[in-house]
Amino acid sequence: MRKFNVLSVCGSGTVTSSMIAEKLKEAMEERGIKITATEAKPTEALQLSEGGNYDFITHTSPLPKGNYPVPTIDAVGFLTGFGEDEFLEEVMRVIEEIESKS
Amino acid sequence: MLDLDLVVLHMEAETSNEIIQNLGALMLSKGYVKDSYIEAVLERERNLPTGLPIGDFCVAIPHTDSGHVNQSNIAITTLKKPSVFHSMVSPEEKLNVEVVFLLAVKDPNLQIQLLKNLMSVFQNKELLIKVRDASSKEEISELLSCLDQ
Repeated sequence: MRKFNVLSVCGSGTVTSSMIAEKLKEAMEERGIKITATEAKPTEALQLSEGGNYDFITHTSPLPKGNYPVPTIDAVGFLTGFGEDEFLEEVMRVIEEIESKS
Repeated sequence: MLDLDLVVLHMEAETSNEIIQNLGALMLSKGYVKDSYIEAVLERERNLPTGLPIGDFCVAIPHTDSGHVNQSNIAITTLKKPSVFHSMVSPEEKLNVEVVFLLAVKDPNLQIQLLKNLMSVFQNKELLIKVRDASSKEEISELLSCLDQ
């Protein structure tokens, strides 16, 4: 099974990041992709992503400016359902890009 | 079912801060949150707001770190008139919010089902409109029975 590590970021590092992580796991499982998610606050995102353990970042709060070493995806549409398809398309695009490089 | 003491109908409030303070005071009086909770939610809302546009209907989900929480719970209010909250997506943007869910989450890993249920509520605009138009606390509790654990 294809496996990806996601850093799920929201303001408190608890509530909406957990919602996104859980829903993303379910949506990706249907596509044969296993997602492992770690929740974090925006202030932790850059440092954590530089650690090299994450394939991409999803976020519901704006991320601080910085040179993120992995793709970042706005997940609010996934949270509200308005923009869900666009979010999932973006995730699949990022995943395919990662796979084409490896 | 929802704690009816945490449900408010048609709150009269001038600002989002007032709404958070009123709902937070209910949480505090029941011991669900610590003394530090309300200030922490207000602070978080200033820096990282929680207004969410569900299509053209807006809700807000103020909350803060689990360290300020004793026991997970949700306080809900409808409003006499819409109140301005800033958008989670783009904090400079103002949204006219009609229903507010104040969240107290102790341990998100143990609350996954509640969080998923809540998310399905946010994604259901028709349900949210029914909540807004409800004429009793019991009706709101009934509409949101999916949040029962």
